[in-house]
Amino acid sequence: MTRFLIDKGHDGPIRKGELEVGDSRFVCPLLIGPNTKLPFEVVGRDLASKAVSLKILPSLTNDISLPDGPEPLILPSLPNSSLFGRDAHRTLLDHQLDLLDSKDESFQERAVVRTSFGLTNDTYLEFLSRAKTFGIRSVAFQFDGYLGQNDLNAVDLRISTPLSWLTLALGRVDLSLLPLLVYLGFDLIDISRAEEAASKDLRLWKLSTEEFGEHYDERYCSCPACNGVSLSDLSESERYKVLFKHNSEQYRILLSECIELSNRGLLRWLVESMTHATPNLAGFTRRISSTFYDYLEEFTPTIGSGVIPLIGPESYWSPTVKRFRDYVRIRYTPPSQKKAILLLPCSARKPYSDSRSHKRFRNAIDSALGSAKHEIAETILTSPIALVPRELERAYPAANYDIPVTGKWDAEELEIAANALVDHLSKFDVSVPVLVHASGGYRAIVEQVEDQIDQDIIYTNIVGSPTRRSSLQSLSEKLTELKEGIPLEKGHSTELEDTLRATADFQFGTGAGSLLIPEESKIKGKLYRMVVSKIGKEQTCAFVSENGVLSLTLFGGELLKPLGRYWARFEGEKVRGGALFAVGVKSADPNIRPGDEVIVLNRDDNVVAVGRSEMSGREMCELDYGHAITFRHKVK
Amino acid sequence: MDLTLDILQDAITNLAKKARKDSIKRRQRRNLSVPAAKWIAPAMIKGRQGYALSVVLATVGCSHAISEAGGCTMCSYLLDGTEEHPTHEQLIQQFEVALGKLEEKPVPYSVKIYTSGSFLDTREVSIIARKAILEKIGRDERIEEVVLESRPEYVSDSLMHEVKSILGDRKIEIGIGLESTNDQVRSLCINKGFTLDKFQEALEICKTHGIGIRAYVLVKPPFLTERDALLDSVSTIIKAAEMGITTASINPVNVQSYTLVERLWRSRDYRPPWLWTVVEILKQARKEVNHTIPILCDPVAAGKSRGTHNCGICDSSIIQAIRSFSLSQDLDVFDDLSCGCRNLWEHVLTHEDISLVSHL
Repeated sequence: MTRFLIDKGHDGPIRKGELEVGDSRFVCPLLIGPNTKLPFEVVGRDLASKAVSLKILPSLTNDISLPDGPEPLILPSLPNSSLFGRDAHRTLLDHQLDLLDSKDESFQERAVVRTSFGLTNDTYLEFLSRAKTFGIRSVAFQFDGYLGQNDLNAVDLRISTPLSWLTLALGRVDLSLLPLLVYLGFDLIDISRAEEAASKDLRLWKLSTEEFGEHYDERYCSCPACNGVSLSDLSESERYKVLFKHNSEQYRILLSECIELSNRGLLRWLVESMTHATPNLAGFTRRISSTFYDYLEEFTPTIGSGVIPLIGPESYWSPTVKRFRDYVRIRYTPPSQKKAILLLPCSARKPYSDSRSHKRFRNAIDSALGSAKHEIAETILTSPIALVPRELERAYPAANYDIPVTGKWDAEELEIAANALVDHLSKFDVSVPVLVHASGGYRAIVEQVEDQIDQDIIYTNIVGSPTRRSSLQSLSEKLTELKEGIPLEKGHSTELEDTLRATADFQFGTGAGSLLIPEESKIKGKLYRMVVSKIGKEQTCAFVSENGVLSLTLFGGELLKPLGRYWARFEGEKVRGGALFAVGVKSADPNIRPGDEVIVLNRDDNVVAVGRSEMSGREMCELDYGHAITFRHKVK
Repeated sequence: MDLTLDILQDAITNLAKKARKDSIKRRQRRNLSVPAAKWIAPAMIKGRQGYALSVVLATVGCSHAISEAGGCTMCSYLLDGTEEHPTHEQLIQQFEVALGKLEEKPVPYSVKIYTSGSFLDTREVSIIARKAILEKIGRDERIEEVVLESRPEYVSDSLMHEVKSILGDRKIEIGIGLESTNDQVRSLCINKGFTLDKFQEALEICKTHGIGIRAYVLVKPPFLTERDALLDSVSTIIKAAEMGITTASINPVNVQSYTLVERLWRSRDYRPPWLWTVVEILKQARKEVNHTIPILCDPVAAGKSRGTHNCGICDSSIIQAIRSFSLSQDLDVFDDLSCGCRNLWEHVLTHEDISLVSHL
């Protein structure tokens, strides 16, 4: 019996799973090939081994008898297929189905379909619909390692594959490519490259390749293969063995790093770091990031803890970053009482309010405006998440990101921030003036789009740093002028409801804030700890400062239901236990991302639970295994 | 599967045609009185050291290559031909020019006549020219061995009767590009356009006239992995020997212009066979095949990126061993060969089977 189970936990498309082969269990993502737990065996050609292996059927062998046993069976195709047209590729796939046609279900379960170079996405999708009547649940993709069109196609096909299928990456997978393939959700990855490199006298390292040759300067290595030996002292065959083992070890080390980092939400950071291995890999990673953004975003969690390093241009379009910008642009609506906008620079410390610079800004604002400050919309300019309304400063990743600070902005980050600013300001009335208390790149953002902004723009007078006494003085003066000119009215603080409503909109979409926290709500708490919102005596939601998220009560779920978003439906009446499993989900909002707060509806459309999603909405519907939603509250 | 094969066959035929493009029309005008190529080499002839003349007559070219069938996936010998039909006087003259090469070389001689097509195809070589050339050989006592190249469909009883009656007791072989005894490989991977039955038929006809068959075996046509190719060539030599061929000539693919193989090679999706593969084929086949049947190999473009090659370091010593094996049939010449690239070749043998990714 061969079975692939997907476990909970996402950091992008990577899935953790378990492959059952007879009595053996393998944890995925898994390295396969020579020197691994799951080697290959070409049927009829390689010596049959007793260990569990992946069986390969050679091409152009119609009369070969399919071997019995539980092991996955990779079906035959042809090499040199890159020039083939549609019909030939379709035929190569259909031929694989023909082989299975007369076979029983256990063969179909073991079958791994093989794609070919040059196979296009439409032909593959057509094939998938034909393959439905078979029990196939796995597919192998080819990588030639040049990171060109063939490899891009392999990724494209992977992305079109049903979510529950086991996916294999066969071919030449360089060590530096491993994190990207793991990130993209390949479950089994061929590391035969370790052997190939050894046979070419190459020692692989994470970011570079070392060649043994005539003028050889030995690099130090502490791995079990190299420890204590000098390559120069070894015979050719001994050296080959050492290199092979070293290279295989490097794959193991790097995979382990991938898994551990993904547990901390940092796999994307590793993928971005690896772009420094070669320009080719950088280009490939960037192409994938932009071409397949929707796919990457779908599986990227909306919550996280710890610091998210955003270091280079690769980060500008990472799902976490772009999604934040998109959510702010699409979902954020400024509170109606705001009569002036204050643009401020970001700070290294997060949330910004906790930083020294923002404490100074607050003092200046408080002293100038007093209780009229509730009519000021504070917006923080930053890179690469562009801008953060003060209400959302604790949201993910605004409270988590960390960037290198040099004071120099590149053209792309300026453009990103400038566009976001134009969109943001268009949400305010033209009569609402914009006060800019920022210098350097921050000020350049505003200047770049001055002619696209309809409001009046006022710059404070900054000499040196915006936190210097004279700069703060200028800020106070300008605010005082605004207060008198507009004028800004005194009132009581709206900080709590503004934050909760903005967070609700950010999390659940526009309109959620007014449904969940209506006018009559009683809101109590501290933004730096927890804020609870009630209607009458009943709690609707709570804002948890630590992760900047609103958690729902059942009552809150009821209020949110009319929005028609962030729901999952199961076919029973009442939920039981601590979680809903994917197998039990009948349908779900496809916009659900791992980490989202969601409501669970029963067959009668009643809210029976609220909780946190562990996977995307599409996965909840398509997968047969795995945690879908961890309950926070459920109907007793 | 038959339907499957048909579709793939069509696809490959079309690709072969596309690769051929207008190369037929681009053939250069040439002097029709001189052959397309001619060369001589020392050879063992009936057990004695002598010289072999190979001549490639310039004709209109292979009918299969020109036809709608698209020609073979690896062959552009068509380019050696001419657009105009040479007259029979010109063809005879071509042969005489080539024969001149042998003057003053010690006897005995062997003569191999190629046309980049079929010498026995009357579209290429008219009956008059064919007879005249054969008779010229028939009159020349120094020539003790003759090889005539042809596709099997042109081998007929009456024609073999003619050949035999003109050439008499000389050792005569018809050279046929069998390529593979596997019909699927020959048809799908090579687009050869004849079946094993057709080859067998030609072979049986030749046998009844005491004429031998020199079978050309192709190493690594496209759509085979390195190991597919190795296994196919070994089994082809063994099977052809059982069928009754008199000589096996092993031809590793070389990348020729205007071929499907060249297009794949340019797309980094094809590599000519490793020299290690060729050596392995010769070793395995020599052990299995009756010693009366020579197994020859004189690889074209060997050691170059378009021909069979290894890492570049060991190529020349291996090529030399292959050539010396062809003369001596002695497998000992392969004993001392070694190179660091053998590990890589072994990796390629298994990993191409696994990944179906071409390893360059």
